[in-house]
Amino acid sequence: MKADGVLAALDRWGRATLPGAVLLFFVLLTLAPLRAPYLSDALPLLPALVVYQFSLATPERLPGPLLLVMGILLDLLLGGPGAPVGVSALGFVLIRAAVVANRRYLVGVPFLFQWFGFGLLVWGFVVLVWSLTALFTWTAVDPVPAMIQYVVVVVIYPLLAPLLARVRARDPLNVPEPSRGTARPGETSP
Amino acid sequence: MAIRDDFEVAAAQVRAAVQRFALGLLVIAAFGAMLVGKADTVLVEHARVLALDLASPVLEAIARPVAAANRAIADLKEFASLREENARLREENARLLAWQTAAQRLENENDGLRGLANFREGPEASFITARIVGDSVSAYVRGALLNVGRKAGVAPGQAVVTGEGLAGRIAEVGDNSARVLFVTDVNSRLPVLIERTRERAILAGDNSSQLRLTLLQSVAGVQRGDRIITSGHGGSFPVGIPIGEVVETGEGRVRVRPFADFSRLEFVRVVDYGVSGLVSGAGSSAPSTPSGVAGQRVR
Repeated sequence: MKADGVLAALDRWGRATLPGAVLLFFVLLTLAPLRAPYLSDALPLLPALVVYQFSLATPERLPGPLLLVMGILLDLLLGGPGAPVGVSALGFVLIRAAVVANRRYLVGVPFLFQWFGFGLLVWGFVVLVWSLTALFTWTAVDPVPAMIQYVVVVVIYPLLAPLLARVRARDPLNVPEPSRGTARPGETSP
Repeated sequence: MAIRDDFEVAAAQVRAAVQRFALGLLVIAAFGAMLVGKADTVLVEHARVLALDLASPVLEAIARPVAAANRAIADLKEFASLREENARLREENARLLAWQTAAQRLENENDGLRGLANFREGPEASFITARIVGDSVSAYVRGALLNVGRKAGVAPGQAVVTGEGLAGRIAEVGDNSARVLFVTDVNSRLPVLIERTRERAILAGDNSSQLRLTLLQSVAGVQRGDRIITSGHGGSFPVGIPIGEVVETGEGRVRVRPFADFSRLEFVRVVDYGVSGLVSGAGSSAPSTPSGVAGQRVR
């Protein structure tokens, strides 16, 4: 590999840290006192959306340990007294693992399939967080607000996902080898 | 050639095993964090406060644009009902002016009677005005983050009020940040009085927009429209801060609508009553002398 200029190094560095930075931004945005109806309900699930979308595009730039740290940060910032710390971390790590394991069904397929996959995985995420919260605080947590969050974030997904997906299109090699997983070019797309 | 293929296959298998192992490790780490959080609450408390203090400058930076966006949304909504709103306000103003006269007369009378009876009032409260820089509202918590902390004299257990009534109490305090737990949070329990009957009760939140009134001696005495105020029992809250009004009664179940409008909170006041009551959380250090850095202290 030939020696790169400073700009190229900076560019590479920027590319490598972008997904992490976007995730951190959405973790902090969770706390933004936005009063838009419905949208503010869904803010706590947006980091999960970012994790899903970037795990599709560039999982190597969003490694598991980083997700663990971000999840714990989210729980620390968001949680009230008694809420378990690390639930979101567990959820993020599992979302990433599920996406990476099922890339052949999720990468290079029509958008509707990706949306469906998101709906399925975030359902798992919501159920996991809800049940662990109920278990750790040992109270019957009302599931309705969590359901509302879920519905709103699934509806928001088509608005936000194409924006986040741009990060992949700008990749010089388009799809790096580890991201491709077991999928072959043209295998699942029509 | 075959040996090389075998080697590559074996290497791939090892790599896959390591990757699977990595996932297991991460899952164990996440569960470890949960268990540590359950076992060592003080450590988690410190971590929360640290995270709050680190995040609050960032949140403060984005709070203003977010507030502007909120105002724009609210403006749009209000334009639609400007005429009705004006009529309603004029009517309310007339009613309030009558109340003001009554209040002045009663205050004078009260002062006179207190002088006669040699009544000693409780400690005087002072206020710390704070901006809400973050919401901690999710399906599981109802709260907010403030841009004032220990340096401004904020301590756990203090009451947080808006112009309309009680909003909540301080749960965690950092150097320059604090977390409010709203009265609607599922962990919130308040000793209250029913203003009309002076009956004591406990007001509990359940993460919904309404509150639940429990432990009443007689549920029958409560009527719709009764105002609920803080009772001051427990020592950390002043007596008589309005909280909400009863909107539903029936079958031992009384629902209360809080006066504070949590959907448009921007500034709140932290009431420093000067007494650290029973509520002040374990492990929290005593508030240092206020230096008036972040918060504005008014009498």
